[in-house]
Amino acid sequence: MNTDYIHIILADDDEDDRLFFTDAFDELKINTKVQTYNDGVELMDYLNAPDSVLPQVLFLDLNMPRKSGMECLEEIKADTRFKDIAIAIYSTSASEEDIENTFVQGANIYIKKPSDFKKLKKALSQVVTINWQYHTNGLNKDNFLLRL
Amino acid sequence: MPLKSLYNSNVFLKSVFAICLFLILFITGVSYKQIQDLSFSSSQVVQTYKVNVELEQIISYLKDAETGQRGFIITNDSVYLEPYLASREKINNSLATLKELTKQSDKQQENLKNLNVSIEERLENFAATYASYVKRDMDTPEFKGLFLAGKTTMDSIRSQVSNMIVLEGQKLENRRDTYKDDVRFTPIFLFVLVLLTLVLLVISYAKIQSDVKKLKRANAKLEVFKESTNKSEIIAKHGNWIWHIEDDYFEYSDNMFRLLGEEPQSFESTIENFMQFVHPDDLEKLSAQVEQMMVDEDLPFINYRIIRKSGEMRYFKARGQKVSGTDFKKKLIGTTHDITDEVENLLKLEERNFELERNNEELSAFNHVASHDLQEPLRKIQTFLSRLEDKEKNNLSDSGKQYVERIVSAATRMRLLIDDLLQFSRTNKSDQIFEASNLNHLLEEAKLDISEKIEAKKAIINAEVLPEGCVIPFQIQQLFTNILGNALKYAKEDVAPIIDVSYAKIKAKDDTRLDSQKADYYHRVVFKDNGIGFEQEYAEKIFELFNRLHNRESYSGTGIGLAICKKIVENHKGYIFASGMPNEGAVFSIFFPIDEK
Repeated sequence: MNTDYIHIILADDDEDDRLFFTDAFDELKINTKVQTYNDGVELMDYLNAPDSVLPQVLFLDLNMPRKSGMECLEEIKADTRFKDIAIAIYSTSASEEDIENTFVQGANIYIKKPSDFKKLKKALSQVVTINWQYHTNGLNKDNFLLRL
Repeated sequence: MPLKSLYNSNVFLKSVFAICLFLILFITGVSYKQIQDLSFSSSQVVQTYKVNVELEQIISYLKDAETGQRGFIITNDSVYLEPYLASREKINNSLATLKELTKQSDKQQENLKNLNVSIEERLENFAATYASYVKRDMDTPEFKGLFLAGKTTMDSIRSQVSNMIVLEGQKLENRRDTYKDDVRFTPIFLFVLVLLTLVLLVISYAKIQSDVKKLKRANAKLEVFKESTNKSEIIAKHGNWIWHIEDDYFEYSDNMFRLLGEEPQSFESTIENFMQFVHPDDLEKLSAQVEQMMVDEDLPFINYRIIRKSGEMRYFKARGQKVSGTDFKKKLIGTTHDITDEVENLLKLEERNFELERNNEELSAFNHVASHDLQEPLRKIQTFLSRLEDKEKNNLSDSGKQYVERIVSAATRMRLLIDDLLQFSRTNKSDQIFEASNLNHLLEEAKLDISEKIEAKKAIINAEVLPEGCVIPFQIQQLFTNILGNALKYAKEDVAPIIDVSYAKIKAKDDTRLDSQKADYYHRVVFKDNGIGFEQEYAEKIFELFNRLHNRESYSGTGIGLAICKKIVENHKGYIFASGMPNEGAVFSIFFPIDEK
């Protein structure tokens, strides 16, 4: 595990959102390495490759073509190789149903995409600096959704 | 009472007729016997007279012979001898007749034998007298002796004959004595019996008459009942049928045939004939059910379809139950109901329901998708706007900056609308789950939702302890959020908002606005604020969708928030009322029925 920077992967089919995401990390004064993938299939291809470097935090958009975030979440949670990856759901909607389902499937946090760039930066910096060990132990349905 | 019940019983008539029959037979028997006796008596009398006549005849023959002999002796003319000569044969004939007539009586036979002997003696005497006369020794004492002996014998015969006559007379007398009682009492006895029979017949006639009257009345009633049953069967589209279990045959009412689209009793009422009408798809099932009915002697509710000869399909529902009839024979009485109209209505209703449901779902889905999918481009517009303001603000002219501000405010308003619409569509969903929840907890959550606004306005919220209730938790939280948000939004500009939340358990009868049928008690949660309030006339209007009391410039809002509140409260079968005073504040009262179970 490289401790110099935080390795982050985002799977999102929306080009604008990927742009906001990378821009936000560029402006944040956190040492990060950000990789983006256009959909679930691309993401899983990368993760499943034997020589791939696994990220510390994975941001998953739910609504993606070919393979949805939900399907990726299920596959990742079914493979013990990925057990150390913290999974942040990164979605436009924050419907009870989506929150409930992803919580049950074992996601670590749920971020509703903010409509303000400042808020986005704030949310992302919060997420990448979370002590996941601590967060996961006290995780419940109420603090699962990141409040901004 | 037992006498009356005896009179009314079926056995009564039968026994009366049996008694009458017996009496008549008895009378006939007695009369026959009586007539027999009478005819026997009269034949006896005739016989007696015949015997008497014959006896007299014998005497007369003997006299003739005597007279003839005497005449001959006096005149010596043989002409006088004729009766004497004929007498022997005649007497013998008479004796034979007498023997035949008196064969019943031993005594008379005995007498007859003696008489016979005497007659023989007399005839021999005649012969001896004749012989002496011929020898002409008439003056001899022998001749005189013979004459005298003749007379003596004759006397003895006379006395014997008169004895026999007396005996016959006595016999007749005895017989008369024997039958005297019979003859006197039998007619009275018979007369009494005939009277009795007549009385019994009259009674049974009266009984029959009254029974016939009763039957007629009952018949008339039955006729009316039958007619009304017929009519009601036609109106209600019912048909009745009877399965005579022991004799195994069916009977269909007229309307059964009409239900099948046929003329009443136009075919033989058999299962086979009926089955010809049954819908081919239901035939197998119905046959099995009928077979089961014959085993169980009972028919639970069954449904099937038939097809009339005209091709029209009808839905039938049938049920049968066993009864023991008055004739003690087992019967299964069934009723068949044409439920086509009901079924068609039901199908129509179901179809309409389905359509409504689909419409509702579509609407809800449309609402959800529209608001949900609209969020994405809007979010990007807002994010790009925030980027523009951050990075490029200094490169814009003053008017450019103003335009950006306007765009930002419009986008914000659009976000508000979309969020509210989304919430509204979510409160529409019917599959919400009620669970026991602590309302205090939900109020805290609501406060948390709008904590920023509370802080910004420096609002104070005083809440009493709320109860627990069986609710849809996120909806109640939404309700509290909206009402608190509303109070903050319409706060007076220069006064820090104070919101008092109070609770009470209310008896439904104490508040006329509450339906006491739904529940006896209600939770009442009241939110009272010190904001700008409103005119009381708008108290109901404010809950309408997209209804706003203020223009957008002074107060931002979508007109959806309170509509959502009303919807949520209605989802909980509760009530929400608002009352306001301009510049004083608004009071929102929420009532939830308490489920006593």
